[in-house]
Formats: sequence, structure tokens, C-alpha cells
Amino acid sequence: MNRRISRRNFLVVSGGTLVSLAAFGCGGAGGVQQPEGEAPEEAQGRTRVVFWTAFAEKNGEAMQKLVDDFNASQEDIFIENQFQGTYEETAQKLATSLAAQQVPDMAVLSEVTWNRFFLDDSLEPLTSYFEGGDPDPEDYVESLIGEGTREGEIWWVPFARSTPLFYYNRDMFSAAGLPDRGPETWDELREWGQDLIRLDGNPKVHAFTTAAKYNAWYFHGNVWQWGGNYSDEDFNALIDEAPAIEAGEFARRLIHEDELAYMASDDQALDFANGLAATTMESTGGLGGITDSAQFEVGTAMLPEQREFGCPTGGAGVAILAAAPDDRKQAAFEFIKFAARPENVAFWSTTTGYMPVTKSAQESSEMQSYFQENPNFKVAVDQLPKTQPQDTARTLIPNGDNTIGTGLERIFVSNEPAETVFGEVAQQLETDAQEVKEQAAGRV
Amino acid sequence: MLVASIACVHVEKRKQSIGSAKKRRVERQHLLFLALIAPNFLLLGAFTYWPMIYQGYLSLTRWNMLAPQKTFVGFDNYTNLFSGSEFWGVLFKTFYFMGAVVLGSVVLGLAIAILLNQRLRGRNFVRSVVFAPVILSGAAVGLVWAYIFDPNYGLMRTFLEPFGVSSPDWLGSTQYAMPALIIVYLWKSLGLSVVIYLAGLQNISKDLYEAARIDGANKWVLFRHITLPQLSPVTFFVVLTTFINSFQAFDIIAVMTGGGPVNATTTLIWYIYQEAFIAFRAGTAAAAAIVMFLLLLVITVFQVRYAQRGVHYK
Repeated sequence: MNRRISRRNFLVVSGGTLVSLAAFGCGGAGGVQQPEGEAPEEAQGRTRVVFWTAFAEKNGEAMQKLVDDFNASQEDIFIENQFQGTYEETAQKLATSLAAQQVPDMAVLSEVTWNRFFLDDSLEPLTSYFEGGDPDPEDYVESLIGEGTREGEIWWVPFARSTPLFYYNRDMFSAAGLPDRGPETWDELREWGQDLIRLDGNPKVHAFTTAAKYNAWYFHGNVWQWGGNYSDEDFNALIDEAPAIEAGEFARRLIHEDELAYMASDDQALDFANGLAATTMESTGGLGGITDSAQFEVGTAMLPEQREFGCPTGGAGVAILAAAPDDRKQAAFEFIKFAARPENVAFWSTTTGYMPVTKSAQESSEMQSYFQENPNFKVAVDQLPKTQPQDTARTLIPNGDNTIGTGLERIFVSNEPAETVFGEVAQQLETDAQEVKEQAAGRV
Repeated sequence: MLVASIACVHVEKRKQSIGSAKKRRVERQHLLFLALIAPNFLLLGAFTYWPMIYQGYLSLTRWNMLAPQKTFVGFDNYTNLFSGSEFWGVLFKTFYFMGAVVLGSVVLGLAIAILLNQRLRGRNFVRSVVFAPVILSGAAVGLVWAYIFDPNYGLMRTFLEPFGVSSPDWLGSTQYAMPALIIVYLWKSLGLSVVIYLAGLQNISKDLYEAARIDGANKWVLFRHITLPQLSPVTFFVVLTTFINSFQAFDIIAVMTGGGPVNATTTLIWYIYQEAFIAFRAGTAAAAAIVMFLLLLVITVFQVRYAQRGVHYK
């Protein structure tokens, strides 16, 4: 190399490198930033809102369609739909994004995950946004908007709300000579079991599911149906009391002694749709997918009762992040308005199977005629008023869903007695509750 | 740029007059030295050392990753980890996984390498096939194997059915889930140890074998007394790298089992992830990560010291 590099030049270059490195390193010096993304050309000059969502496959396509329709409906705002994975993965990414100060403006959060962001003051209170009366908070199904309302403020707007639903294979039921309805009690299902497992292909009677697929959510219904609870409002664990243990023992016997049921190691909805199990519980949000893929007549029913009816609400709502600047919060709320219009609620609900979250949508002719054509879906909507919000053990105690879910796996897979398992789960829940008790006191 | 500037320093140095400017020159050289290492040092500092130090600090706190304040709790996280049975179970599973993977890599890796070291037709093709899984993405491999292992729709079932054997529910049983992961991890990573062993085999001098053969040694004796000892540095290397790599196997666990069922496949790295991002207990996760760091440190120190002494056949 003949060209001489003077020391001055060298220092200038390396100094420049350092400065740019430093700039790169502290890029967020100006405060919270918006995540990067790819906005198309027509988005130029619009307010860009980053929206983190958690819907894949059929439901993901519906989500994108809703966002596209919104973007096409006006010229000031561009919503960028960024799929983040499951509810849990979305929450993980949101937590890290808050730590890294690169925060989306709006996110889909589940009935479990939104609580932690609420308690840590990461969410924007939305009541003032509703003041114009568009949308009217009273138009939302009361129990659903109520779940997202705390301290007199709306934080979490109903969107993809769901409940567990009982699915049964109508072809199998008729082949086994059973009535065309879901069982009234779990005992009845157990009696029917003998007729069902003798069918061709030796299907199991019922598929339970894994912790990762939220078995603690489905089983919440079982515990209530036996008259028990996971916990009370003050975070005391009740899962180690008699009714919950009886519910657990029933499942254990059904799997390991009667050999009528099992835990689907991957996805209970998939096993059901493939005819491996005659019945299962799955979210109403899975109705669209199951109906599409099943090669048989799918039947749905309200959850079986044992001693009383019990069914939790679940699914996701939309929240706006407090860290976003005001103009983007306003813009994000425009999408919430859009999503609450009867035709959009109806589109989202009929495509995915999530509940129609507003009364105006439920009463709309579109929804009414859909009910007529899809009695399976009507069952889910009829069940909705009978559902209730979940116990604190799952929604508020840190890791509660996983603690209970892993305990259920021990019963489902390892045949451990419910009394031992739930005793240990209760202990763990009470330990973990300490972390949140103080923080949640008076706020939930 | 680095080479250019060193050359430049060299030229400057020659130009300097002796004596008077000596002190200034030394100062300048120090400055230049700093300027040269600064970019590297800054990057290492920002992306390696700082996170490590911060991790150490986090391990002494209780923090849910969202709250603005972290509560300082001293060594509570560590005592909690080691006083419960859960963490010991996690360590056991970690070493179960690593032990089986290391053993498999050495035994199968050597066996396949010896096979591929023969003059066989299509040898090069088979070598590429054996190595190919190494470059595949762990997530993709996990998905494919999850399908293979599926007791109801999987390939395994199709193969076993004609023999009247039903496929076990590999990923759904606490007993089979870990062996399933070990099989997949071995399948994916074996190519690397095969390649290393192949290179090692080709380095062994043919004279040794010839001399032994003249003395009447049979094949087993050749293997036992020449091949194995000559390969001992290679084996040592394979053991250590496999150990360290398998410690960090995350992708296939995430895709195939998610640490389950009933935590049967919760290795240390999955446990750290679970504590941090599912339970949001940053302190416990950091403490577990520090434990992992120390374990790796011990292995590395062992490697450096042992490798210096030399694992050679004399």
C-alpha cells in the first residue's frame, strides 16, 4: 500500500467510527422509540401505528384483513400489523420492548398477560378516549368490558374474547347410538365412553391438553363444575381443597383407570379434527379452524356440568401502551373504534369464532343470519352470559397458569394423585402470590 | 485499515528525531494504541462484558422485568435455587442430556468416521449427507422430528406398524421425551464430530499401522493401540465442544417439547428462559444463568489446563 495515511486522517476516521458507534449504542437517548417495520409507499405521510398481534393461520389472515380494511378506510393513519407469536410470546416481547424502550403503540394481550402490564403501569387508561361516545362503552358485552375496567378506567378493550367450548364428533356419536348433544355431566360422558371407544379406529373419548395449550384455562371450568375454585380474591389458593381435588381425581381416573381419555401431547384440537378423540374442549376461537379441517360433522355444546355450571371467559383484548406519544395513541384508538363497528365485529367473529363483543353486532342482521346457519357458533354465544372471569390464581399470580398447568400434566401424564399434586401447586401459588399481593392490593 | 495504520506508525517512527521528542512520542503511541483497540473494546464491553456484569447484579435482585424498581435481595436467589429440589432436577436433566449427547458424539462420530475413512464408492456423497444436518436450522429440524415422532401421524408409526409395534408417544411421555431430544440433537450435530474425527484419522501416520502389522497385530489391536490413543487429542476436543454446545441446546427444546411434559425436558437453559420470560422472575433467571456461566467456566478452565499438559500419545 503506497498511499500514506497520516495520523491525523487515521484519528479522524477512528474518532468518527467511535462517535457513530456511540450514537448506535445510545440510539434511544431521546426516550421511547417505535419498533421498525416495513410500511408500504401509500403509508408515507400518515401516522404510523405499530400494532403487535398474536393470531396465526386463519385468524391471522382475518386480523390482517381487518387492518388492511382500516388502512383503506382513511388517509391519515397507517396501522402496521406485526405478528408476534402466541399470547405468551407477545407478552414476552412486550416486556423486553419496554425494558429496551422500543415499544409498540398498541398490542393484543390475553386475559392473563394484560394484568401484569396493568399492574406495572405500562397501559394507557382509555376512558377519556371513549368520551365522544364512539364507540359507546356500554355497547360492549357488559361482563367483557367489565373485565378490562379497573379503578374506574377502561384499560383493556374486548376484541378476541373467547370461552372454552365442548366439541364432539357427531358422526361418532351417531355411530355409537348416542344422542346428538354434548353430555350433561362428566359422569354421563364417562358412561358414553364405553360405546365410543369400541368404534372403528378406537378413538379416545376425550382429549385433554398440555400446559402450553392452556390446560389450566379449560380445567378452570372443571374445578368450578365440581364446586371448587383455584383461589379466592385475596390470592389464597383453594386448589388443594376437596372439590378441586375431586375434579382432578375424576380426570386422572378417566385417563389412567378407565382409559377413556388422554392428554394430546401436541394439540387437542388437531387430534379431535383428525378423529383421534370423540370429544374435547377448545376455545371458541378454534371453531373456524376445526370446522374447516374436520372430515366429519362437528358438534358443539356448552361445557358439561357436574354439580353446577362453570365456564371461564378468556381470549384477548386490545390495549394501548402508555409509552406511546399522544398522536399515536389517538391514532391507535381510531382502530379500536373501527374494530367496534358492528360490521367489523361481525366479520371478525364469524371468521374466527371469537365472541361478538358488542351488543350492536350481536343484534345485527348479519350476525343473526350467521347464527341461523351456524348453530355450533350460536351455542358459544348462548353460553357467554353464563361465563365468569377467572380466579386470581391464573390471571394475577405470577406464573400461575404454568404452575397449575404443569400440575395438571402430572395428573394427566404421570398418573400422580390429585391431592399430592394440588397440594404442591397450592404451596407454589401462595409463595408466588407474595410477589404480587402488595402491588395488586386495592387495584384489582 | 488496521494494517495501514500500523505501517503508518512504523513510517512515522522512523521519521522521528531521536531524543527530544521521545516522551511525546511515547504518549502519542499510547493514544494510538487506545484508538486502535477502542472500537473492539467498546463493542466487547457493550455486548459481552456489560451484560455479564449486569446479569451478576440482576441475580442479586428480585425484579419482574417491568417494575421500575428492582429489590435487592442479596444471595436469596441462589439459596432458593439450591435449597429446592426443582433446580437439582434441572441440573440432573441437563447433565443427562449432555452426557448422552457427548457419549453418542464420540462413539457414533468415531464409528462413522472410521467407516467413511475406508475406500468406499460414493464416500464423498455419504460424507456430505452425514454433515448436512449440521447446517440446518434447529427449529426446522425440530419441526420435522416432531412429525416423525408423532404417535398418530408420524413416520415412526408408519415404520413400526408392519412389525405390530405401536410407536410410543415420544414427546408426550416423561420417559421418552428426553431420549427423543437426544436422538434429534445427535442426528443434527453428529456430522461435526465425524468431520473432526475424519481429519484426525487422516493425520495418523500410516507407518505406525504398517509396523504393527509386521509385528502381527490384528485389526482390533490396531484400533485399540494405535487409532484410539492417536486420536485422544481429537476425542478430547470433540468431548469439550459437544459438551459446551449441548449445554446451550435451546431451539429443539423450544420447538419440540417446551420443557415438558411435566418439566421432563427442562434443562438449565430452558429453565433460565422459563424463569425469565414465562414467570418473569429476572432475578432467579439471572442467578441460574450465573450458575450456568460458572459451570461452563469450570469446563473451559479444565480444557485449557488439560490441553496444555497435552493429551498425546507418547
